[in-house]
Amino acid sequence: MTTELPKLKADPYNLIITGVGGQGNVTASRILGNMLSQMGYYITIGETFGASQRGGSVMSHLRVSAEETVSPIIAKGQGHMVIAMEPTEAIRVLADYGNMEIKVICNTRPIHPMGVIAGEQAYPSQAEIEERVNDISGQAWFINATDEALADMKNPVYGNIMLLGAVAATGELPISRDDFEASISETMTADKVALNLKAFDRGLEMLQ
Amino acid sequence: MKIGGSKEIFEQVLDTDLCSVCGACVGICPYFKVHSGKVAKVFDCDLEKGRCYAQCPKTGVDFEMLSQNYFNQPYTDKPLGTYQKIVAAKAGDMLQGDRFQNGGSVTALISFALESGAIEGAVLTDAEGLIPVPKIVENAGDALKCAATKYAAAHTAAAVNEAAKDGRTNLGVVGTACQLTGIAQMRANPLEKSDFMDPVSLTIGLFCTWSLDARKFKDYISGKIDPATITGMDVPPPPAEVFVVKTGNSTTELPLSEVRTLIPNGCSVCPDMTAEWADISVGAFEGKKEWNTLIIRTARGEELVNKAVAAGYLKLDEFSAAGLDHLTTGAGNKKKRALKKQNQEVS
Amino acid sequence: MTALTDPKSNQHHLVMGNEAFARGALEAGVAVVAGYPGTPSSEIVESLANVSKERNLYVEWSTNEKVAMEVAAAGSFAKLRSLCVLKQNGVNVASDFFLHLAGSGTRGGMLVLTCEDPGALSSVNEGDSRHFSRMLEIPLLEPGDFQEAKDITKWGFELSEALKCPVMIRSVTRLSHASGNITFGDLPETDHKAEFKHDGFILDPDTGPMISAPVAYKHGLQQQKVQQAIKMFETSPFNTYTGPGNPELLLITSSACNLYSREAIKLLGVQHRVGLLKLGTTWPLPPKLLEKHLRMANKVLIVEEVIPFLEESVKILAMELAEEIGIKKFFGKRDGTIPSTNELNPDIVIGALCGILGMDYAGLTAEYSEKANTHLFLGAPAREGTFCAGCPHRASFWNISQALKLDNNEGFVCGDIGCYSMAVLPAGYSTLKTLHAMGSGTGVASGFGKLGQFGMDQPVFSVCGDSTFYHAVLPALVNAVHHKSDITLVVLDNSGTAMTGFQPHPGTEKDARGEEALQMNIESICKSIGATVRVADPFDFDETQKTIFELMGMKGGVKVLVLRQICALSPEKKGIRWFDVVVHESQCLGENCGCNRLCTRVFKCPGLVWDTEKKVSKIDDAICVGCGVCSSVCPVGAIENMEVK
Repeated sequence: MTTELPKLKADPYNLIITGVGGQGNVTASRILGNMLSQMGYYITIGETFGASQRGGSVMSHLRVSAEETVSPIIAKGQGHMVIAMEPTEAIRVLADYGNMEIKVICNTRPIHPMGVIAGEQAYPSQAEIEERVNDISGQAWFINATDEALADMKNPVYGNIMLLGAVAATGELPISRDDFEASISETMTADKVALNLKAFDRGLEMLQ
Repeated sequence: MKIGGSKEIFEQVLDTDLCSVCGACVGICPYFKVHSGKVAKVFDCDLEKGRCYAQCPKTGVDFEMLSQNYFNQPYTDKPLGTYQKIVAAKAGDMLQGDRFQNGGSVTALISFALESGAIEGAVLTDAEGLIPVPKIVENAGDALKCAATKYAAAHTAAAVNEAAKDGRTNLGVVGTACQLTGIAQMRANPLEKSDFMDPVSLTIGLFCTWSLDARKFKDYISGKIDPATITGMDVPPPPAEVFVVKTGNSTTELPLSEVRTLIPNGCSVCPDMTAEWADISVGAFEGKKEWNTLIIRTARGEELVNKAVAAGYLKLDEFSAAGLDHLTTGAGNKKKRALKKQNQEVS
Repeated sequence: MTALTDPKSNQHHLVMGNEAFARGALEAGVAVVAGYPGTPSSEIVESLANVSKERNLYVEWSTNEKVAMEVAAAGSFAKLRSLCVLKQNGVNVASDFFLHLAGSGTRGGMLVLTCEDPGALSSVNEGDSRHFSRMLEIPLLEPGDFQEAKDITKWGFELSEALKCPVMIRSVTRLSHASGNITFGDLPETDHKAEFKHDGFILDPDTGPMISAPVAYKHGLQQQKVQQAIKMFETSPFNTYTGPGNPELLLITSSACNLYSREAIKLLGVQHRVGLLKLGTTWPLPPKLLEKHLRMANKVLIVEEVIPFLEESVKILAMELAEEIGIKKFFGKRDGTIPSTNELNPDIVIGALCGILGMDYAGLTAEYSEKANTHLFLGAPAREGTFCAGCPHRASFWNISQALKLDNNEGFVCGDIGCYSMAVLPAGYSTLKTLHAMGSGTGVASGFGKLGQFGMDQPVFSVCGDSTFYHAVLPALVNAVHHKSDITLVVLDNSGTAMTGFQPHPGTEKDARGEEALQMNIESICKSIGATVRVADPFDFDETQKTIFELMGMKGGVKVLVLRQICALSPEKKGIRWFDVVVHESQCLGENCGCNRLCTRVFKCPGLVWDTEKKVSKIDDAICVGCGVCSSVCPVGAIENMEVK
């Protein structure tokens, strides 16, 4: 690949986008993957979908490299960043792929598992989740992207775009607002692009 | 009495074949329902204490408590229970109808109670074909339609539970011992709910030695007679050992020994022949087909009987000492059989 | 994603594995594509259907995989390049035809592309179809990364055409549903001409009839083709070696395991000790190539999913070559070095390498692992799959399970394959009591319904989806009706093949390419076969339960109840709210006797949650889709459906 590519903080840089089936983690991973691929990086994404869409835990492993295509599954403990669309899923992912340097961006809106709805299990409080995540990560940000998206834009799915904005704000990956705009403009209409940019900007803001 | 929940009632009653389908556990919640004459648990309820268990007549019954509630006195183990007087009775001239099993006293009392406004509705037992179903009626005409004995077990208590949920009050109920025992426990507000309102103000009991499993009865009869043609049923007194089914203008006699195989196991542990937890209890009058035996137990019951007589709904006559003796022996024998069976079940 | 037909070749495109396969087929000039939806294969047919006009393709979602293979074969017989796409389940469905196709041979290149599911992420089996290649004696190719997915597909067509036999390509979830960068090749012309020559000499492969007889002769031909394949495989660029000339350990692998193995070697830093032989042509194995590499090391580790297919093939060769290469020490599935079930990942390969090379490695430090697992156990309640908010299956099973309980005769339901398979779980009130393959619910029920002569009096039900009905239930239903089996089939008609992404089927108006198709009607078909048929809306609890009891009361013969309500995720329904649903807190009985949280503890729709502080149920407005069904569940009428303004 071209030698002008910005050097990654690690090669491969291992990102895990996690959430509950149906939240849109596949779309989010595609958008991010496309952005970085268009810049010239090798991207490998590993996903689970199908049966897991129906309310189960899902993960996308998104790996960025300047050199080669790598395994679609990240090895244990090798995560660099977790983007969690659901807060307890962050904990679940960290237990397998986390380490004390890993960065976590966590959406705070819970989705109750069926066991919690049925009264068989308890769902932890926000404070508890934050404490636990902080205990097993290097740095963590907690933002209420879903509620912002519901209030501002009437659709919870824009929360995912806000999370991408937050990723850009961390500076962990060499992605910018311009890269995002260029990437989505290829496939979306102008009005959709505007809405997505609004969400992206909000995400940038929420982290600063 | 330790109150359990749905798990316990299922283990102790439904799963051990002790259920007599009185309906005391049904109509309270979505977990127990009756379909085609049988009680089913449709989902699991994990509450440790439930009204289902508290009201079921086959889980422990606190006779002392019920006696205080109904009669303001300690429980008596006399075979006929607590009562004030026993008379012979039959429907008076104000009622027409040839649908009476025997004397028609129950229909008479209920009709009068409704028409005079003593009660606002009555929980009776109707039937869909051969399967009995409880029914709340508001006038004498509808009460008449429910006349005649249903030999199969009916979940009458369920209708009382439903009525309570709907906030109804001042209802009369006609039922057998297990149904009225369940209802009596329900009226005692066993889970001490602060918003409890007793829906019932009058109970009329029916003498009962046994009833029949509705589904098995339906299958048995349907195999021999077209249910749509049946106009009535009867069990004549001993020494006849037959079960009589009337259709149109003919009569079929079925061996009682065969019919007895359809009796639910739950009946064999029941100690109550004359429906002790009632204002008035009514049964056949042996030897006189057109009369009933009527036991008046409470002041409420006495008041209703007197007013009904005065209004021409009911006629009374004497009840002989011999009759009393006979009745007491019969009721006592049922208690003995029940106690013996209960001890067997336990051991 | 990159447009599949992007003419910008030699550029760095990010594609899903399935799109790489599709692009490979386009670059090979495929003309006929047929399949049946099955995760993880469905996107191949979908993406080709999307470009079918542009690239002059016939693309079909067939009724089932056997028919799909037959349809593709027709294309091949007519000298067109054809592709049959399925998952491991489908290979089994198509196997009768597959067996005879291997015998008759093909003309235009034909690929059978199976995308499999090690670890059963979306299946109720983790079957491994590679043994079909050995059993049917046809070539097997396994791409080891995304670029190969495209390239091996293109080459596969050439191979099939050269040998005049079908070629099997096997993929797995971690390739098909994963994404990576590839460069595209050129797209050819699309003016394909179909012609089926059949008047020639009976044994002429190009002009005679397409038949698998005379059998011994044709079988002999098949085996010659296998020998030809071996020659080509000896020099195939899809078999690669990376590593030293005399490694301590030779690692032989294929498919996605190639990527895990590379990662493992890199993470351990043992590139100088381990030689990686990645095979793309995994049956028949080219003996000279294997000999060359088996000589290199005394220890051999074989990494593959799921059954030890490659391991056994290698060992057979190793025995035959023993005098030349010496005796080797093998590690793999048979000796437990690699787990014998479930999918693999880099950590499993790392563990195997550490054991063989005498190394230590910990992905997570013991300290971190302990902390994290405690947090996981205490802070992340487990998530089970369930029906989506607004799913009609939840309502259907609510009604069916209650009716069976009320009937009180130990009635049961034989299950089938689709989203509704989840009704083996509490999500569907644990209603399903058997679960096997497509159409098996009704097949098994047909059997149960004839056991009356042995005293079986339990009511017998089966369920199936609308797509499953056409796929495999029809023959079982015909069997049941003809033999007067006493069963009730409930067809859960949500107007599409939902589990796999809402593909069309014979009951829908349009076909794979979005063109008008002849729409069939399930109840008419069942009536004309001779079943007693009713139709109801599962969201109407009273009507549905009444109808179920009506049908249960009919003793003898087959009853069919079509419960029709559209899937919550269907393009027609998604995002459309019928009601704004609200729980009136003051009326909610909650945990008290009389309710005990029927809605959240038993009914369990993800859109209805329990407020632990107020001790009442409430609607989760980010999840509730406004179907209004829960208002029928509440025993005290505390849930209200309000018209959407």
